[in-house]
Amino acid sequence: MSGFLLPMAHALASRQDLPIPAWLFAWGASIVLIVSFFALSVAWRTPKLERDRWRPVGAGFSGVLLGRPAQLLCGAAGVFLLGVAVYSGLQGTEAPDRNFALTFIFVTCWLGFPLFSVVFGDVFRPFNPWRAIGRAIGGAFTAIAGQRPAHLTYPDVLGRWPAAIGLLAFVWLEVVYGTSGGVAVGVSPQTTATAALLYTTYTLAMMALFGVEKWCRTGEVFSVYFGMFSQLGAFGVKDGRLGRRLPLAAASHWATVPGSLAMVIASIATTSFDGAQEGAFKGGIEQTFDWLAGTGLSLTASLRLTDTIFLLLCFAGVAAIYLIGVRGMETVRGAPPLKKLRSGFAHTLIPIAFAYLVAHYFSLFVFQEQAQFTYLLSDPLGTAKTDLFGTASGGVDFNLLTANAIWYVQVGALVIGHVVGLTLAHDRATAYWGDFRQAARSQYWMLAVMVSFTCFGLFLLSASNS
Amino acid sequence: MNSNITRVALGIAAVAVAVLLLIVLKDDGSGGEETTSTPTTTKSTSGTTKSPPTGNEIPTIVVKGGKPVGGVRDLSFEEGDRIRFEVESDVSDEIHVHGYDLMKDVEAGGKVSFDFPATIEGVFEAELEERKQPIAELTVNP
Repeated sequence: MSGFLLPMAHALASRQDLPIPAWLFAWGASIVLIVSFFALSVAWRTPKLERDRWRPVGAGFSGVLLGRPAQLLCGAAGVFLLGVAVYSGLQGTEAPDRNFALTFIFVTCWLGFPLFSVVFGDVFRPFNPWRAIGRAIGGAFTAIAGQRPAHLTYPDVLGRWPAAIGLLAFVWLEVVYGTSGGVAVGVSPQTTATAALLYTTYTLAMMALFGVEKWCRTGEVFSVYFGMFSQLGAFGVKDGRLGRRLPLAAASHWATVPGSLAMVIASIATTSFDGAQEGAFKGGIEQTFDWLAGTGLSLTASLRLTDTIFLLLCFAGVAAIYLIGVRGMETVRGAPPLKKLRSGFAHTLIPIAFAYLVAHYFSLFVFQEQAQFTYLLSDPLGTAKTDLFGTASGGVDFNLLTANAIWYVQVGALVIGHVVGLTLAHDRATAYWGDFRQAARSQYWMLAVMVSFTCFGLFLLSASNS
Repeated sequence: MNSNITRVALGIAAVAVAVLLLIVLKDDGSGGEETTSTPTTTKSTSGTTKSPPTGNEIPTIVVKGGKPVGGVRDLSFEEGDRIRFEVESDVSDEIHVHGYDLMKDVEAGGKVSFDFPATIEGVFEAELEERKQPIAELTVNP
């Protein structure tokens, strides 16, 4: 037991998940092992996912979906919703579960877009409020000045690093900064709204410096993060035309930009941290917290510092596992240079990152979206004075999911993510090693990496809330 | 050909290990399942009337200076049980049981009892609403 009482509150998660039982843990881990060995024996010998075989869909359909009216409409909707979120955050109730801002930003968008991106492609792009504002300002400038705005050249070595660091910062704000230090979202609506305004200023400034589209590809956290998940899906836009492609194939060329590996590692690390802080890391966090609080730091500062340390440890741990795997592959005869290996297998972690998201936030998403589309929609400020759509008295049915249903989705997500990750890694290996035997040998290393992540994921689920 | 046989052998070994693990662990994990009491059919979660203790000791959470004595209390129940606990507080506040969304006011130096059926599975928090101070964590197992 902690000497100091940790200030913890579960701002959004009214119902938290039960830890998965030991027998399901064993099932999950066994299936992972069996599937992995099975995968080795049926493996194909030539790369199948290096080319995405993109085929355009009908021009009319594509034109309606990507045309100017749709762009204007989606952009305006994005800006409007950002406005509603900021306004609710600043003017609405302090009660986190009653304020539109928190659920909309941290659940509906943050968890919803990865899901929709995998299924439908990069759906965030048209709704991106900052891109819409940036393009509107750019258009106005061009109309007034009679020339397109000039931009600085973006230093290509930076690649996606700004987005990766931004992702860590975002999750830090979400789960570390909030003084309630709670599960899921610990930050207050007011702080969230202020942070959104700061981020808007920063993003518009960067877009002015480097150009709207350039910044969306490299530095804008949400574009890069949601865009990463959209690479797994079967729909993508090329040269302004919507098309269908081989699922997973687009991912194989996603990580060629510097900083991509950091992005996907940050994604796994942040989800791990959030899943572990109340379970697997609880003891360690309490000890570190006690020690820091004992040195005279304030309780809030101690908790933030402790959580920051553990968040960074997660990042280092995930990176270490992956880099050991890469080092191992390098020892296999005929291996490409280390640098190429390191970025060449980064995309194989995207499915793991997605599986972690589903495993940790599936139930929160299902419960909180009921709130989103009932009382939060009709009464965004949470003042109990408005009822815009007549749904203000609605509530969350926590019986919608049984504990068993949640467990199966969690374990299922991890197992499927594992298989997809292995598939991508094997395919890349057959492309890098001309000799199939060597390619297969290199994959023992990636297999070890994937099994580590999947079993760590299962372990986190089994230890949550301990 | 040879390597294929090795692979198959490895696969079989993995299955064997997995099955063994499963048998060993399953016994452990599902032991409690047989003893699950019949689920209640009561839908109402507003039945928070005081009821006399029935055999089992009703846990009491003592709040001193706005904090639970001995830290946040962990209470575990099976689905279908009745969730019973009492809160003794030296400060006045509102006690909120999340998920079940039950609220009860407590006076300074007063005592309130909760008694309601465990109809929702999961982990839920009971907190002093004004102080945002958790006092208990209720676990409802299926």
